[in-house]
Amino acid sequence: MDDLALVSVSWWLLLSHGFGVVLAALAGWRHGIRAGLTVAAAAPLATTIWAVERLASGAEPETVELVWVGGLDLVLRFQTDAVALLMTVLVSGIGVLVFAYATAYFGPDAAGRSRFPATLLAFSTSMLGLVLADSIWTLFVFWELTSITSFLLVGYKSTSDVVMDAARRALMITAGGGLVLLVGLLVLADVTGTSVISDFGAVDGAAASIAAALIMVGAATKSAQIPFHVWLPGAMEAPTPVSAYLHSATMVKAGVFIIAVLGPVFAGNDVWMALGLAFGISSMLWGAVGALRHDDAKLILAWSTVSQLGLLVTLLSLGTAKGVFAGISILLAHALFKAALFIVVGEVDVRTGTRKVSELGGLARKMPIAAAVAVAAGASMAGVPPLLGFAAKEAAVEAALELDGTLFAVAGVSVIVGAVLTVAYTTRLLIGLLGPGPDVAVAPSRPLLAIPSVVLAAAGLVGYVFLGQINAMVVPAAVELDTKAEVYELYRWPGLTVGLAVSLIVIAAGIVLGLVVARRTMAVPKPVGADFADRLLDAIPIGSRMIIGRIQHGSLPIYLATMAAVVSLAALSMALRVSSDRIVVWDEPTQALLVAVIVAAAVAGVFVGSRLGAALILGAVGICVSGVYILHGAPDLALTQLLVETVVVVGFVLGLGHLARRFPDSPDTWRTIRMVVSLAVGVGVAGALAVAGAQPVGRPPIGELARAAVEEGGGENVVNVILTDVRGLDTLGEITVLVVVSIGIVALANVRRSEVTT
Amino acid sequence: MIRHLSPMTRISVKLVTPPALLVGVYLLFAGHNNPGGGFAAGLVFGAVLILRTLAEVQEPRHAREIVAFGLFAAVAVAIAPALAGGVLFDQVIGEIEVPVLGKVKGGTALPFDIAVAAIVVGLVVALLDGLAASGGIRSHHRLEHDE
Repeated sequence: MDDLALVSVSWWLLLSHGFGVVLAALAGWRHGIRAGLTVAAAAPLATTIWAVERLASGAEPETVELVWVGGLDLVLRFQTDAVALLMTVLVSGIGVLVFAYATAYFGPDAAGRSRFPATLLAFSTSMLGLVLADSIWTLFVFWELTSITSFLLVGYKSTSDVVMDAARRALMITAGGGLVLLVGLLVLADVTGTSVISDFGAVDGAAASIAAALIMVGAATKSAQIPFHVWLPGAMEAPTPVSAYLHSATMVKAGVFIIAVLGPVFAGNDVWMALGLAFGISSMLWGAVGALRHDDAKLILAWSTVSQLGLLVTLLSLGTAKGVFAGISILLAHALFKAALFIVVGEVDVRTGTRKVSELGGLARKMPIAAAVAVAAGASMAGVPPLLGFAAKEAAVEAALELDGTLFAVAGVSVIVGAVLTVAYTTRLLIGLLGPGPDVAVAPSRPLLAIPSVVLAAAGLVGYVFLGQINAMVVPAAVELDTKAEVYELYRWPGLTVGLAVSLIVIAAGIVLGLVVARRTMAVPKPVGADFADRLLDAIPIGSRMIIGRIQHGSLPIYLATMAAVVSLAALSMALRVSSDRIVVWDEPTQALLVAVIVAAAVAGVFVGSRLGAALILGAVGICVSGVYILHGAPDLALTQLLVETVVVVGFVLGLGHLARRFPDSPDTWRTIRMVVSLAVGVGVAGALAVAGAQPVGRPPIGELARAAVEEGGGENVVNVILTDVRGLDTLGEITVLVVVSIGIVALANVRRSEVTT
Repeated sequence: MIRHLSPMTRISVKLVTPPALLVGVYLLFAGHNNPGGGFAAGLVFGAVLILRTLAEVQEPRHAREIVAFGLFAAVAVAIAPALAGGVLFDQVIGEIEVPVLGKVKGGTALPFDIAVAAIVVGLVVALLDGLAASGGIRSHHRLEHDE
């Protein structure tokens, strides 16, 4: 399998993304944010070219697997089917344009010069890994990585409280949804008996329904469906490149992507369909209403994204081949026009100083390029020919009309109403930006700012002209999710069908509605559940502080007693299995002598009242134990024990210096508790050791180890060779623990010193 | 804390230091074929340090540096063979002729043992430092201040 990994291009592309993150950070640090972004764009650019080439040549899907722990199914597994490649083109292609845009958006001295390019590329990497993943564990890891990197990106301006609240809210909801998704994936893996996505067959039964519900909820949090959409409008605090990338083309599509990919698995599952339609339809309609009422152009786009994602979730949950086909088409079209619109609004913001539709107007003359882009992208969003959005929206309308019965009454009608509202808010946005209105001063343009949006908007037009190429991308992807989708394709002009008639009515009705509400100030809707989310956001740190306060009370004796009690419970359960006939009293009488001393010292240790005395007695016990080791022929162990005892006793002498000479008196209850716990630990551990010694499992590997020690380790002390060579990695782990402890102690000491001095 | 530190304590600690260190070094080198090793050596060095701190001959210092050196050395020994195309912790053994000692055989286990010893010493120093910070040890600085 490793060999396979080495020859696969997709593997190298993912790796190059990883290196790119480091290089981008370095370049940004040395030469400023623009250099960092330029370096960061290299890997996505190569990936785009690769994916487009593979799609065009219709190459067979390839699979790459890197096994970590095979027995636990912990593998990194990627595959390149048509859906994955289509998503790759979106993620990496739009990524390149966003990196280009960001170089113009940020001034050369912008903050976060090293952090921002690296984080943006890290996000792009996570997204790429997500869409290429073929194991649900791989998918989940990258899913969580997108949550974390997007948190960092939304919180770019980390000095602002508003921004940090928005970032935290996004993290809380998407990471919380990630946990729900994880449980769903666990159940699914249990039901199907595999973690490989391409091996999944259709599942049914109660467990499958539970998995369906959990996965759908997880997907809905990421794709900002009602009631989890709270975070998306807030995330608009992010810089424009981040919004254009994360909140249009990529991250919010992750949920849609997982619904699409797992759709075939849950085909015919009522829970899956009902939840998907509930999320999708409510988000589609409420999102559109929100977009219709907002004044801030960026928030209009955010709410419109909620609505469009709702449309995608609805189409993919219909369970029809036409729905899947329309969903994939709109997925592609939406990524193009929404990214372009975000960039235009960003440019308007930079050049006029405001994003409020009520304060803007007349930009058609003052910003002709941006205006053209806005019209082209907006028209594509509204589904007006001759643009890609029209062909895709036409497929959605067809998918809605083909339904019958209740499904048509609920989903079909909603899709059509949603389309009307989409045309309406697009009209309102365009009139607000371009139509007559307040005169605003416009700063001179920066051409680089416009180029990426021109490319994206033009892609909508070019895609319509070369619809055959788009079909070549969309149809295989749809077929992969539903084989019946092969009969469909996008049409430049569908002919005089009912669908076209409906589309034209939709556009007309939408424009009328848009004209009616244009330039009208309306109460801005609050996202459903916003207050609850904010309260939760406040409650989490308070709650965790409370719990930590209870658990970490800071009393050392209670910590010790707790640990000892837990140990005794584990040991006692084992000690109960002790059988007297297998116990050997002693091998030689000397042992009895040593043990007598040990017991006597231990008993004395309980009754001695002086702290120093207790420490010395403990040392005596330890030294006698090392004597027992010597009798058993373990000089290494004995030496170590002896040295540890020495250090501990000397340490006690030093440490006890600033404590009272005698133990303090303690209340009787506490004394009783300690006695019970001590007895339990003593009896339990002794019993457990007797059981363990009396029932050896397997043969001791000493012969093999001794041979390996001399031949491979070159040493005759087997113990030492085991520590430094055979199990060297274990030792490394152990000494790393010591290092961590040391650092902790030094840090505590420093805190203490600063407390003393202040 | 020993309030009235006797000159005897100080002098005997100072006297004991060189032979104790020698024992530690012996354990470090002997470890590969006889009882001993990095951990044992580190403990001996640690015990010496505690005694010297106790006798106020020395102050615990540079825990972080010692620990950092140890961890870097350990990781270097671990991954060096892998970088050279082998597996982690692949043992490299060589023999060299040293003028006085004659033929000396050594492997990469030795630097690893040294790293382990350094980390153990670092931990002891950190502990002593922690005690000093919480007022367990009189530091030289405070002694001068008192007088």
